[in-house]
Amino acid sequence: MSRRAMALVVGAIVVGAALLVGVRMAVDEKGSTESAATGTGSFTAQTAWGEPNLTGVWRGTPLGAGSGRDTFNLAKLEGLYTSDARARMKELSAKDDPTMRCTPPAFPRAAMLGYPVQIIQRPGFAFVFTEAYPIFRIIPTTGRPHTSGQYLFPTHLGDSTARWEGDTLVVDVISFNGEGWLASPQDRPTNASTGVWLTSDAMHVVERWRRIDADTLEYQARVEDPKMLTMPWETPTVIFKRQTVDRIEEVLCRPEDGPATYLARLGS
Amino acid sequence: MSVRKFAVMAVLACSGIAVLALFVAIGPSGASAQIRTYKPPQTAAPGADWTKRIEEILPPGVESRAEATARIAAYKPDPVKYPVPRTPWDGKPDFSGVYWPDATITPPPVPLESLYRPEAREYREGGGAAAGLIDWRGIDTPNYHCWPPSPVNGSMGGTVQLVSTPGYLLLLNEGGSNFRIIPIIGENGPQPSASRKPSFQGSSVGHWEGDTLVVEVTNFNGKPWLGAAQPPKRLPQTSSDALRIVERWSRPDAQIFEYRVVVEDPKMLTAPWTGSADRRGILPYDTVQESLCFLDPELDARHREFAAKEAKKRGAVR
Repeated sequence: MSRRAMALVVGAIVVGAALLVGVRMAVDEKGSTESAATGTGSFTAQTAWGEPNLTGVWRGTPLGAGSGRDTFNLAKLEGLYTSDARARMKELSAKDDPTMRCTPPAFPRAAMLGYPVQIIQRPGFAFVFTEAYPIFRIIPTTGRPHTSGQYLFPTHLGDSTARWEGDTLVVDVISFNGEGWLASPQDRPTNASTGVWLTSDAMHVVERWRRIDADTLEYQARVEDPKMLTMPWETPTVIFKRQTVDRIEEVLCRPEDGPATYLARLGS
Repeated sequence: MSVRKFAVMAVLACSGIAVLALFVAIGPSGASAQIRTYKPPQTAAPGADWTKRIEEILPPGVESRAEATARIAAYKPDPVKYPVPRTPWDGKPDFSGVYWPDATITPPPVPLESLYRPEAREYREGGGAAAGLIDWRGIDTPNYHCWPPSPVNGSMGGTVQLVSTPGYLLLLNEGGSNFRIIPIIGENGPQPSASRKPSFQGSSVGHWEGDTLVVEVTNFNGKPWLGAAQPPKRLPQTSSDALRIVERWSRPDAQIFEYRVVVEDPKMLTAPWTGSADRRGILPYDTVQESLCFLDPELDARHREFAAKEAKKRGAVR
C-alpha cells in the first residue's frame, strides 16, 4: 500500500471515529426529548442525529417584478446579461418559457413562485419536494464531491451537494442543461424587459438554507453563469413560513391540462 | 448502549470508511481498465422490437432485466448473512436504497380482471377518466401521457429509491420523477393531516405492525388505471374514487424489499383483490437520477396514427 493510501485510511478512521462519537452523543442526548423527531407534525431545532432541522412544509410569498415593483432583484439580473444573451432573448417570447412544456423550474426560480416546498432529512441527505411542479431534489449533506464526471449528465435541476456551515445548509449545484429560465415571462422589471430569462449549461448555483426560528426558513441563492451573465447575481433572501400540513399536495403538470394551467400555476 | 456494542459499531463504521478510502486511493488505476466506451443504441425503426435491442447492447457480464428478475425471484432471503438495516431513531427496518427490477414471487390468486363488475363495462370501454385522451385500442397507455404508474404497484415505476426518515417513508421514482411521501404514525405521534385533494397516487398513511410497514392509501381521484388495456380483448382496468389500497412493505434482509397489496374498489370490483407479492433487489447506488416524463407531440401523433390503423384492421376483421 502506498504511503498516500495509508494516510488516507488512517485519516478516514480518525474522521470516522469522530463522526461516530458525534452521532452517538446526539442520540444519547435525544433521550430527554423522547419522540422529538418521530412525530410527523412535531418540531425540534435539531434532528435526532444532531443536524439543524429543516424538516417541514414551507411556503414563501410570490416574488417577481412588474408594475413598478421588483421583489426578486430582477432589474439587477437583467443588467448582468451579456450582449449576446440579450440578442437571443429579444428573439424569444413568453411562449418559449420551458415551464409551458411542463419542465420544472429549478431553484432559485422555484423559490419565488410562492408554492409550498417540503424538506425531509435523514442522516447524510436532505430531500426537497416542490408542489408547483412534482419534482424531488436529492441533496447529500456530507460535503461529498459532486457526482463524478463519468456519471454526470445535464439535467433540469442540476447535481446538488451540500455541507453545513453552522446552522446553514450550503448547497452547490452544477450540471444544469441550460433549458431553464431564471424567472417567469411575467417578470418585467423595466420597460425594455423581454420577460425572457435564459440560462446556460455553465450555470452554477450556491444556495443557503437556514431556519431562523421554529416557523421561519430563509433561502438565498447566488447564480453564476459565465456564458450568460457578466457577473454573479444574488437573489434577495426569501422567507418561507411553516405550513401546518404534513405533506404537500400532488399537483401533476401534464400537457393535457392545457397551457392555461401552467400560467395559472406560476401566479401570473 | 453497552461499551462493547459501541466498540463493535465503531470498528464496523471505521472499516467501512477505510475500505472506501482505499477504493478511492487505488480506484482510478484499477477502474480505468474496466471502462468501456458506451455506444448508444441506434434508434429503432418503427415496428422494430426495441426491447430486444436493449438486451443486445449490454456489455458482457452485465445482467439483463430478465436475468436480474429471475435471480431476484429465486433469491432466498438470508437475514443472518445480510442483516436487516435498522434506523437509529426507532430501530424499525430501514428501507433506504435504490432498487431494481420488480420480480413477482407469488402471482395473484385470481386475475384482477375476473373481479370487474359487468356493469362497469361501458365506462371501461370509454377509457374511464381517460375518455378522449387515451386511445386504448391502439398502443396508447397512461404511461405515454406521463400519468404516475399504477397504484396497484405502489405507483412504482422501473428503478425506485426508498428513503426511511423519522416519521416518513419516501418513494422516489426514477422514471417520470413521481414521488410519494408516506407519513408513518408513531406510537405517540399526531395523526397526519387529512385535508388533501384527491390525487393520482392517493393519500397514504403508514403504521408499523411488527417489522412490516402497513400503508393504507385512499383519497384517489378516480383516474388511475389499475392495469393497462390489452386490446382487443382486455379493457382498461379503470378505478373509481372509492379505491382503497392496503400495502404491506417488508425488508426480509438487506438485499431486497417485498411489497404486497390488497385492492378494494366497490364501484369497480365485486370483491377485494389480492395482488401479487413482489420484491425488488437493491442496487449499489444511493440516489436515483432525474428522468422526467414529457408528452412528445411527435410520439403522440404516431400513437394516434397507429391506433387508427389498428382500429381499421379490427373493423375489417369484423
